[in-house]
Amino acid sequence: MLQFWRVLIAGTKNFLRNAWLSTAATAVMTITLTIIVISFISNSALTDTVKGLTDKIVLSVYLRDGITDQQKDLIKNRLQGTGDVQQTVYISKDEAVARYKEKNKNDVVQLEAIEITGNNLPASYEVHLSDRNKLNDVIKVASDTDIKPLLDEKNPVSITGSRKDAIQNIIHGSNFVIQLGLIASLIFLLISTLIIFNTIRMAIFTRRDEIEIMKLVGATKWFIRGPFLFEATLYGVVGAFIATGLAYALLLGSGPKLTYIDVQSTIAFFTTYPALIIGAEILIGTCIGILSSLLAMSRYLKL
Amino acid sequence: MILFDRVTKVYPNQMIALSGLNLHIQPKEFVTIVGSSGAGKSTLIKLLTREEVHSSGKLIVGGLDYDTITPRDVPLVRRRIGVVFQDFKLLPGRRVGENVAFALEVSGAPRREIKRAVPKMLQLVGLASKEGAYPHELSGGERQRVAIARALIRQPKILIADEPTGNLDPKNAWEIIELLLKINRFGTTVLLTTHNKEIVNALKRRVITINRGRIIKDEEQGRYTLEGGK
Repeated sequence: MLQFWRVLIAGTKNFLRNAWLSTAATAVMTITLTIIVISFISNSALTDTVKGLTDKIVLSVYLRDGITDQQKDLIKNRLQGTGDVQQTVYISKDEAVARYKEKNKNDVVQLEAIEITGNNLPASYEVHLSDRNKLNDVIKVASDTDIKPLLDEKNPVSITGSRKDAIQNIIHGSNFVIQLGLIASLIFLLISTLIIFNTIRMAIFTRRDEIEIMKLVGATKWFIRGPFLFEATLYGVVGAFIATGLAYALLLGSGPKLTYIDVQSTIAFFTTYPALIIGAEILIGTCIGILSSLLAMSRYLKL
Repeated sequence: MILFDRVTKVYPNQMIALSGLNLHIQPKEFVTIVGSSGAGKSTLIKLLTREEVHSSGKLIVGGLDYDTITPRDVPLVRRRIGVVFQDFKLLPGRRVGENVAFALEVSGAPRREIKRAVPKMLQLVGLASKEGAYPHELSGGERQRVAIARALIRQPKILIADEPTGNLDPKNAWEIIELLLKINRFGTTVLLTTHNKEIVNALKRRVITINRGRIIKDEEQGRYTLEGGK
């Protein structure tokens, strides 16, 4: 225990003694961890936003007049068969008219028109999706050779609310941002590993006389390596605290301005589980530090 | 105390540093090893401190057969032997007291023991008043005393002094030799390597002369007989 404590003290002294190197290593660790936590926040907020949007997406598949109940069941089964459908609701011709009238109750011309022409509106299935990315899979069912003849050719499959383009742009945009965050995180993980590797390599070089003396007076390998390991761990711990603080400030600061993005649940998560966030950041930072220093020591610290 | 039984050391580049060396040093002896550069003195010391491993033969130090040592045991072996070098090998960023305490810290000695032992050891080497000084504030002789104090703080049975006077003026060199003799009188086996002819001749102790990895002379009250001694 006493030895362990001495190793921690030596590691902390080394961290403070090489102020410039430590600052550089901690800074790059902070950037890496900030990117990771921002990537996590973006992922969480965009997923919530897209989920909120897609919950409202309803695909309408219009049926040809006069098809049998059996054929209706076939269409329903095929739509649900995609596996990404939460619910399929049948809207009969009568219900369609009722909805039309309700929607146009203040438009006398439209109401008169439907009275004159009779019920020309097709029956339909309203499809509620469970996966925002599977929009096209469901639409594709409508073009299958056995299904297509059963559908109303004048009314193609449509998205209720006519926000298809906007929704699809958001979906594509969010996927892009999530992937970008992942790639940036990986790149900075690599950069910080290399920089900490180099920092420890330089520390080993700077302290080569001290290491030689330690060996000479009978220090164990653990006693010699320990301070380097702890020093690299400190980069991770300090970086984790700064990164979490930065990310939280960024989230609180930018949250109200992001009117189209749902950040409330992410802020709530941050506020409810701050220890979990910091703990995860410390874990990642520590892993980067330990891995880098182990690599540097295996290469440059021959005991 | 120290037994070399037909010890040979061949380096990876096939250079033979020691060739079937036989040497027996008794406890409490003061032995001087002389030899020209490349004779094998440094290799002999490196085998004792386990910086190098002998290629063949038997090496027993303080009852410990070096053939049975595992890498994990090496730090423990080094703690049993005190070593001082020509270039002192002190930590420049640490004070005298901290340099001496360092040897105890690495072996896990409790704080209280360190606080008690360090001033006593500094007193023994005549540096009681310099505990708070940094190595660069000391003379060469004083630095070597610090190195000796560090080597002795764990009370080893063997002290190896590898050219301890090489960087010192005659006055300081003699003071260091007198200190080594004093330590030897307290019961520590001292193994000294030196090129200093005057010191070797004045000591009138056992002198072992090595040449090309072999002992060519071993005298109870030997003299420096090599060419080119200082």
